[in-house]
Amino acid sequence: MTRTGFVHRALCYGSDDEFLDGTLTFALDGLAAGEKVLAVVATRNIDLLGRALGRRRDEVEFVDADDWYGSPSRTLGRYNAYCADHDTDGAGRPSRIRIIGEPVWPGRTEFETREWMRYESLLNVAFAGTGHRILCPYDTRALPPGVVRSATRTHPELALAAGDSAASGHYADPADFYAECDAARPYGLPAGRDDIPFGRGRSAHVRRALRSYALDLGVSEHRLDDMVAAVHEVVVNSVRHGGGRGVLRLRNDFEYVICEVSDVGTGASTVPPLFPGHLPPDRRAVNGHGMWVVRQLSDLLTETLDPAGSVVRLYFKRCARGPTRAACPPPAV
Amino acid sequence: MDVVPALRAVGEMRAGDHLLLGYDADEERETVVAAFLLDGLASGHRGLVLGPADLPAELALTFLESRGCAVDDELAAGRLTVDPHLATPEGLWDLDEVIRREARRAVSDGYLGLRVSMEIMRGQAGRGLKTLHDSELLLEPVFASLPVLGICQYDRRVFDDVELAPLDGLHHGRVAADLVWRDELLSITRTFAPPGLALAGEVDDSNVTALARALQAETARVRAHQVDGASIRLDLRDLAFIDVGALRLLVFSALSLHTSGGMLVLHGVAPHVRRLMRVTGWDRIPGLRLSRGDVRQGALP
Repeated sequence: MTRTGFVHRALCYGSDDEFLDGTLTFALDGLAAGEKVLAVVATRNIDLLGRALGRRRDEVEFVDADDWYGSPSRTLGRYNAYCADHDTDGAGRPSRIRIIGEPVWPGRTEFETREWMRYESLLNVAFAGTGHRILCPYDTRALPPGVVRSATRTHPELALAAGDSAASGHYADPADFYAECDAARPYGLPAGRDDIPFGRGRSAHVRRALRSYALDLGVSEHRLDDMVAAVHEVVVNSVRHGGGRGVLRLRNDFEYVICEVSDVGTGASTVPPLFPGHLPPDRRAVNGHGMWVVRQLSDLLTETLDPAGSVVRLYFKRCARGPTRAACPPPAV
Repeated sequence: MDVVPALRAVGEMRAGDHLLLGYDADEERETVVAAFLLDGLASGHRGLVLGPADLPAELALTFLESRGCAVDDELAAGRLTVDPHLATPEGLWDLDEVIRREARRAVSDGYLGLRVSMEIMRGQAGRGLKTLHDSELLLEPVFASLPVLGICQYDRRVFDDVELAPLDGLHHGRVAADLVWRDELLSITRTFAPPGLALAGEVDDSNVTALARALQAETARVRAHQVDGASIRLDLRDLAFIDVGALRLLVFSALSLHTSGGMLVLHGVAPHVRRLMRVTGWDRIPGLRLSRGDVRQGALP
């Protein structure tokens, strides 16, 4: 059966054999069709699938999932960039891409886990209209039942034995799923003495204040530039679309520097966009790059876009993921 | 001892200033000298042009005509004069005398001052530039005592930096083209070789219009010289911040230059700006080229 639409399929596996049963055929079918095959999977699964591929191992591009699944929006951006770089063959003809993408769930907080579920659901929107296929392995031995259950809601298809698949009976419309994830997002921060008010023409002042706050927290110069650029775009959005003024609140906890931008709103009855900043903008579009950039530069972001006043909260990791986390400095008082 | 010579915009010159212009392109010389002379006409000064060749006055001043000056009228009225003195082999020997005399004459003719434009020729500089040094030294008391402003022009394609460095000590500093824009965040200056703009500071929503205007003017200038393949270079080495809106402006400028076979070259793009251009796909826009250059660190807090 030849299919042309985007395929996003979950593979819930409970053993190495089941993992191989689902991924090996998928990869070999892709190679047979001359497609580019990318496998972003857990370290031990790289060995497993690599060995099973035998001589054809080198034809599949392997990436360790820990190096790829850093933050949800950046990962989506990365897949998008990868597909843009590889969606034509040597002769310039359009070419389909097969991805085995195994998100990393261990070590995530409840908040992070929810945002990664949201990411899985958003792939259906971001890649709709492409002919690419993404197969997402979920290890039922190790993952919490809630995570495995979410896979049946964020993937339109579930992989069955021997390369077969079936429609997921629990698949949720991405807009509904998005709203569900939003229901659990945090409320706006309370006003504080250090609030940084802003208005038209005052964005430079906000950048200075943010830079000095983050420098005091020991944020690296590299992340500082991204942080300033991202927060600036949100502030400019507020000035332009959110009634012209608002306030920036800065907080930090053990994991994140939190920058919350809220505005007074315009009171107009405009409908906020669906999936703001989640979908890759056309590079030649006259607008729509701002929120995309903000998500790509920050680690996590929650937003409440409301004509009566919007709240956008950006999270920047204080330290790198993984073992180094233990070496993080204590949160500033 | 390495001393960075003071750099003054031509529009900020005052009576008594004796500045050096080291230029890389004729357009640069003409831009600075034209501003110098036109400012003079506007402030009641006489303009004296000591040109490098014995040309008819109108011909020597075509660069003023093309900048909107009624050269014939100004010459007829005596507000502008062209003197081939420097074109003579011994022109440098009594340069101080010529300027002293002309300054006094200008004052007695009712002018508030004299602006002198001097193009220095290699041939007259003497062995080891001795004649030139002596001449510049003798000019000093003239500038100190009379209402004179002067620009000594040195073609850097003829005089190298080693030769020019000691001459800095004989002037009050160097002169440059007027800033295209300056506010508390951003300054924009023209560059001439290659043609383009240098941005220093920060571009954001408050001043992106100034950048748009400067780019538009630069595009028009470059197109006036070269219809096809007109390219502009932006020197971003001293740019500490640029936001998405301003980058988008650069993208659309590049696309527009690309349609006529040209391109926009961004020189010295900082790593964080590169990241931003990568996630938007703007690093792959036709007509936009990123050249690495030396990124200066810590230009702004």
